[in-house]
Amino acid sequence: MARYTNISTTRKEKFIEILDSHKRMIYKVVNSYCVNQEDRKDLEQEIIIQLWKSFDNYNPDFSYSTWIYRIALNVAISFFRKQKSWRSRFDPFPEETLFNIQDEEKFNSERDDKLILLQQLIQQLDELSKALMLLYLDGKRHDEIAEILGISKTNVATKISRLKVKLSKSFENE
Amino acid sequence: MELEQLMEEYNRKLDEIIHLNKNNTFKNLPFRKSRQTTNSLLFYRITEVAFWGLVVVFMGSFVAFHLKEIHLAVSGLIIELFALIALTGSIGQIVLIRQIDYSKPVVEIRKKIESVNAHGLLFIKLLMISLPVWWVYAIVGLYLLFGIDIYPYLNPKFVTVYLTMNGVLVIPLIWFLNKLSYENLHIKWVQKTINGLTSPRTRKALHFLKEIEVFEK
Repeated sequence: MARYTNISTTRKEKFIEILDSHKRMIYKVVNSYCVNQEDRKDLEQEIIIQLWKSFDNYNPDFSYSTWIYRIALNVAISFFRKQKSWRSRFDPFPEETLFNIQDEEKFNSERDDKLILLQQLIQQLDELSKALMLLYLDGKRHDEIAEILGISKTNVATKISRLKVKLSKSFENE
Repeated sequence: MELEQLMEEYNRKLDEIIHLNKNNTFKNLPFRKSRQTTNSLLFYRITEVAFWGLVVVFMGSFVAFHLKEIHLAVSGLIIELFALIALTGSIGQIVLIRQIDYSKPVVEIRKKIESVNAHGLLFIKLLMISLPVWWVYAIVGLYLLFGIDIYPYLNPKFVTVYLTMNGVLVIPLIWFLNKLSYENLHIKWVQKTINGLTSPRTRKALHFLKEIEVFEK
């Protein structure tokens, strides 16, 4: 019995360790697909539940970041499509959620205007383009993006260049 | 490029300031609620399979018992065919639901989820293709419920004309129903028909399937 408890504890520790080293990804996905504070908490929880459920079947052929991005984006898009009402605002994470932001107010006040605009523009994109842009801006290579989304590398390159033009135009208009 | 620099700086800042509440990670996570959502959808589809399975078995035996009364056997066979299509569709849905694995590529999983959500279209199509052959339901229904066989009371000339008209109608109807799919949502009349006939959930799913198709191009 003790042996099983240890295995379970080790698994949980390993999971938390992976989660901790990839928390930025989850934060950004939640932040991009949710504008409402309460919804964010729900989405964040749902992503972690799905990650935990899928943890035993993790395929080592893919990196942890690919695995986390796939699950987080799949859950976020499902969640986004289920919601009926959305409020447009940028809220920091509430304290009771799994992620905390240190010096939250300072962080928000120090955010570059261009960054705020960029986040607003990303939020306006359709669900799949939003996922693509998030991955690109997170520094993922085209082949990694193709692997996460399940489209061809050429398609990734074409779409990114189109989205960049679109974002640049929006920046100029603002 | 300015965009990349902006995000690099943002990522760096996020890495510095986001912290995971390690002690709370597993506390109060609604595991049960999350499992129930998927299970209820699966249960709903299994119930559908059981229902259509029963209809198939029942109509199969109806046809077998009335092989000598051609009009009853043919009417039963037509209903059996519709039930088989519905049964196949519902089994396909269970297969799709079982294949939904969030660790798979986003586009692949979205297609499966939206195909599950668009399931209502199959029943709309079945209902519409049943319209020219509504009489099979009347013949079988009256026979099963009240033991009345109305066929011998019908004028043979009327039956021949009616069946010919129905036969002619079936081909354009099949063409029309075949057009009713997300692939043809760019055609205005298809879009209007789908928007007018399907539930908001089915409609939303079909439009998203079209978006995925465009995204993949």
